[in-house]
Amino acid sequence: MKSDRLLNIYTGLFLVFMFGPLILMVISSFNNISPPSVTEWRGFTTKWYSFFWMPQDELRADPVLRVLDRDRLISCFGNSIWVALIVVPLALLLGLSGAVLLTRWRSKANGVLWWVLLSPMLAPGVVLGLGALVFWGQVGINAGLFTIIMAQVTFIASYPMLILMARLQRQPIELEEAALDLGASPFRVFRRLTLPYLAPALVSAGVIAFMASIENYNTTMFAKGGACTLATEIGAMGRNPNGHPPVINAIGTVIITITVAGALLHTFLLSRERKGG
Amino acid sequence: MTDLAMRGRDVRLEGVSITYPNGFTAVQPTDLVVEAGEFFSILGPSGCGKTTILRTVSGFVEPTDGRVLIGGEDMKGIGPNARPTALIFQNLALFPLMPVWENVAFGLEARGVGKKARRQRAQELLELVALGDQGDKLPSELSGGQRQRVAIARALAVEPAVLLLDEPLSALDLKLRQHMRAELREIQKKTGVTFIYITHDQGEALTMSDRIAVMNNGVIEQVGTGDEIYSAPESAFAASFVGEVNALPGHVVATDGAMARIETASGQLVGRNPKSLEPGAQAILFVRPEQMVFGDPGNVFTADLKRRDLEGAFVTYEFLTPTGQSLTLHQTNTGTLAPMAQEARIGFAAQSAVILPEGPLARTGRELAAQ
Repeated sequence: MKSDRLLNIYTGLFLVFMFGPLILMVISSFNNISPPSVTEWRGFTTKWYSFFWMPQDELRADPVLRVLDRDRLISCFGNSIWVALIVVPLALLLGLSGAVLLTRWRSKANGVLWWVLLSPMLAPGVVLGLGALVFWGQVGINAGLFTIIMAQVTFIASYPMLILMARLQRQPIELEEAALDLGASPFRVFRRLTLPYLAPALVSAGVIAFMASIENYNTTMFAKGGACTLATEIGAMGRNPNGHPPVINAIGTVIITITVAGALLHTFLLSRERKGG
Repeated sequence: MTDLAMRGRDVRLEGVSITYPNGFTAVQPTDLVVEAGEFFSILGPSGCGKTTILRTVSGFVEPTDGRVLIGGEDMKGIGPNARPTALIFQNLALFPLMPVWENVAFGLEARGVGKKARRQRAQELLELVALGDQGDKLPSELSGGQRQRVAIARALAVEPAVLLLDEPLSALDLKLRQHMRAELREIQKKTGVTFIYITHDQGEALTMSDRIAVMNNGVIEQVGTGDEIYSAPESAFAASFVGEVNALPGHVVATDGAMARIETASGQLVGRNPKSLEPGAQAILFVRPEQMVFGDPGNVFTADLKRRDLEGAFVTYEFLTPTGQSLTLHQTNTGTLAPMAQEARIGFAAQSAVILPEGPLARTGRELAAQ
């Protein structure tokens, strides 16, 4: 069938556009040339990876690596992790509150509230970053890790909210009514019924919030002041007019590997849960 | 079993009416008394307001007007978790992630009973409903009938004075449903708890209840024992909803003591006049198919036999009079069936028919199927 072939071609092109750049990035992360290239092969190397732990003298001997500030890159990465570790619980807490409010509170204001709570996700990231910068500046807090966290939470909280809402909407309201009827306080209903029911969705939402925080660039860029995260630092390195060092490709490859592994694990756990339930 | 005995309390609705925020009045002003320890059914078609009444007694819905008293105590402002009631939901609402015993013990957990005591009490209740060895399973691992019994045990665990049941048998198949009817009745007797049972199934209501309230369009039309409602219905709806009935509309032309004469399309007929209708009143004469006989017992029709269904112990005949009135006649199966496609004389005794004011009739199966 002709339409089938068109569809196949479309699918093929789609996959090429999506994965082509990633594949090139992975290949060039093993090529001994800087700036990275796949057209010119200068031999296999893992030094763009071992950059992070190689001894100082070896580092100083390499003409490309010796101009890079390894300690700064590592400390920016540390910042990213710290920020994410604080953003995730905050986003889960806010997202959970929003989800419970929007699914359980029957009010005419619900429609408006839905858009208000969701708008940060739709607003341009630079606006959020700038907003956080200005607001906290007025309060008297200088831009830094704190403003990064505040700016990120404003929109990252929407992801858990959407995920948790989808799950809450599938929980029959009778379950909560039955628990109330049996004498449970609303808090006990939440702890014994709603929370266990939401547990898998909370894990998913946490992972997604974590990723969203780690990879965020535009909002963070505006809110960061003098601080840095991995994303902003990679951005800074990437803006080098002489081309970026392949170390960035190596970081990218590691991130892809972790993401794919995480997705596979998630699928595996999900299928096991389905079989179990 | 003595330690499982509980004491039921009476439930009174005083002028209770319920109007939803969208302006729909689900329950018109209603007075109702359910005696302590009674098995009381509210019977009516879907949407008649019976579930709303149940939710009002359990505390999920506040009455717009009037008050609810349980054991003489005004329930105003008391939430569902503080009322001496337990509700069994139509879909049972078992907690899917908790094992059966934790489901049963949930109400005790909410009351701060220690784990050991909870487990023991749950075991007692599971044994009461013949599920003593199923405590560690998840609800999803049980059959429909077993889940039903878990829901009952869970509700009884909080020692409610009033147990409210919202069509709990509707999801079960026929055999199991009939079995569960007997079982529910037995549990009710054993515990002495007041049962308020919501159903649209007249068979359920008639077999289980001490008394029944027939409800339609937010109004309780009649309260009485099953026998009273079946033999002496007080409204056109009650007469047509409970059991099968032949309905002959017309107007009253004469009264004589407790009897009245009504002019219908099929001629003048005589029946009881419990509502003391005056001549001229629009009315409907109701007569049960099993009160119809061949021959002339007083009120008589000449009609064509259109259908004959042999249902084992009894036979159902469907007749059509020349004026287009269809009449159903039930007869025990004596071995000889009336011949088909023949004119016959059929009728009923005046004492077996009742004349009631004109009013909405319950929908027939055919009308429901056409929806």
